Amino acid sequence: MASVAQQPASPGPGGPGGSAQARRALPGWRAIGARVITLREGSIIVIALVTAIYFSANTSTFLTGENFETLLPYFAPFAILAAGEVFVMILGEIDLSIAGMYLFAPIIFYKLNTSVGLPLVPSVIVALIVCMAVGAINGIFVAVLGLSSFVVTLGMLFAFEGLSLIISKGTPVATPGGQPPLGTFGKVFGGGTYSELIWAVAIVVILQVALTFTRWGLYTVAIGSNKLGAAEAGVRVNLVMIRNFMLCALTAGLVGIFEAVRSATVQPNPAGPNEILLLAIAAAVVGGTLLTGGSGTVVGALIGALFLGILKDGLILQGVQATYLLFYTGLAVIVAMTANVFVGRVRRGQTGGG
Amino acid sequence: MAADPARSPEPERTPPPEEAVPPASAPDDVLRVEHIAKRFGPVTALRDVNLHLKKGEVLGLLGDNGAGKSTLIKIISGFQKQDSGRIFLNGQPYEPKSVDDARAKGVDTVYQDLALIDELSVYHNLFLRRERTLRPLPLLNNREMKREARRALDEIGINIPRIDVSVARLSGGQRQAIAVARTVNSASDIILLDEPLAAMGAKEGAQILDLVARLKEEGRVSIVMILHNYVQVFQACDRVSMIQDGAIVLDKPTAETSVEELTEIVVNEYRRAREAAHASEASVESPPAPA
Repeated sequence: MASVAQQPASPGPGGPGGSAQARRALPGWRAIGARVITLREGSIIVIALVTAIYFSANTSTFLTGENFETLLPYFAPFAILAAGEVFVMILGEIDLSIAGMYLFAPIIFYKLNTSVGLPLVPSVIVALIVCMAVGAINGIFVAVLGLSSFVVTLGMLFAFEGLSLIISKGTPVATPGGQPPLGTFGKVFGGGTYSELIWAVAIVVILQVALTFTRWGLYTVAIGSNKLGAAEAGVRVNLVMIRNFMLCALTAGLVGIFEAVRSATVQPNPAGPNEILLLAIAAAVVGGTLLTGGSGTVVGALIGALFLGILKDGLILQGVQATYLLFYTGLAVIVAMTANVFVGRVRRGQTGGG
Repeated sequence: MAADPARSPEPERTPPPEEAVPPASAPDDVLRVEHIAKRFGPVTALRDVNLHLKKGEVLGLLGDNGAGKSTLIKIISGFQKQDSGRIFLNGQPYEPKSVDDARAKGVDTVYQDLALIDELSVYHNLFLRRERTLRPLPLLNNREMKREARRALDEIGINIPRIDVSVARLSGGQRQAIAVARTVNSASDIILLDEPLAAMGAKEGAQILDLVARLKEEGRVSIVMILHNYVQVFQACDRVSMIQDGAIVLDKPTAETSVEELTEIVVNEYRRAREAAHASEASVESPPAPA
């Protein structure tokens, strides 16, 4: 991107050329600021930084290694969930069934391991394949049959939360491989202190690369931006949409298993996952992904999740009562979104000709 | 939808109906369309369309709104399938299964609704479905695409100051130019342009017509172009076909016809339709039968 701006101005001094000159004239630190703000993730980076600095200044415990470990489970699972959700949201769709997958995957994993007698890792793999199959069904309903993704995945959410209750008979059970002392399996799949963080960073990097630098990502954006146009250009719209719903279900199932291992319990209670679902969507939108589709960023979703995690952690450290947490989170989401929209306008005004 | 004759093993060629212009098939036709019909529920978009295109020829397709021009283009480009009738490409039966398939066979299209993706950059739009990758990695080779996009745009004389901005930032004419450039860039044999001059200023329209003229000089590609403006037809096309009411009513080299003749056909058709409507209104006293 940068290299093109430095090319000798081509004939026709249009709007874009003029703004490029203006940007070059900025002094150093302002230029950096301008560059950050032109990133899609710009505003959430700034907001997350400001929040972190605020809590560092106002509490003595925020900037400690110990607190970082506390912070991890507040954001790593959301980052993974949001990363998958971003791929669906860029299409202009939404997947609410991730909470169902989050609940359902560990129960399948548990049953396969204890009742069927499959080893741990194959049980995880089969459970995730089941999730992807559900994702494929979501995708077929939305892409091929043309149903609203909100309605389809809402139905799937209820159905799979219900199915989880039926299969588990509503009773929490001990997660196989998640009991102390943790073996390699437990440490890798969510039990280790940094396990979820490493997974989150790896998944976010891979999916961001897929989004920006592969045909799949390009077509995802194309479909979200102009579905008919993408189809006319020869993009296989249904295939891409189904694939993205499968990805989203996969990440949700994976996080469900991580959390079951980390907490050592397979919980069939849907209340927790429903809140997690909404926080994951909040992380994605706060991170700069449009609900209307056509634009989104996986890295932004990670930072969005980090922001929500920092906020929760910092408020707890400040001694804010637990009953106030949700209220503050709600305000923060609105403030962050307002900043996103505002910065987005500045960005378009700055780099665009029209 | 009855059995598709295009699929049945070599059906006898049905004689053309009286009212239609018979297909003037010649050995050097790169594209020949025979008796294409297409219905959308109760609406007949194409009744019986015959069309032919010689190598290096520019054919102007005229017709009022709703006459079926765009439907015809969409069938040839593989986006929709005809109910009956056959298409031949270089003398071979041609049944595109998809837009990709048609493109692989050398038929590429610029659509009226501009299949551009607002959120993608100019060069990504130019290379949509033909992306260059860093083989064997599945990653996009953006540098090469940018370079080639710049070269292709320069070559065809379209001035786009920056190719890494999203096309949403461009004017209507620039967008159209990119849509045309995308197709020209694709090394196809037959290019279908669905109203390439819509949403364009006079200067931008002239650029596109110049581009078409340059392609014609090269003689490599054959072009079917939907146009509204008769003057532009005479500027750019070798031959003109006019669709009315789902069938071709005129097929002549531009040198042998005139704006007056084309206008007269349209006006006559309009009068006839109006008289017919009046006549049926006057004669029918009983409640109208359901369509």
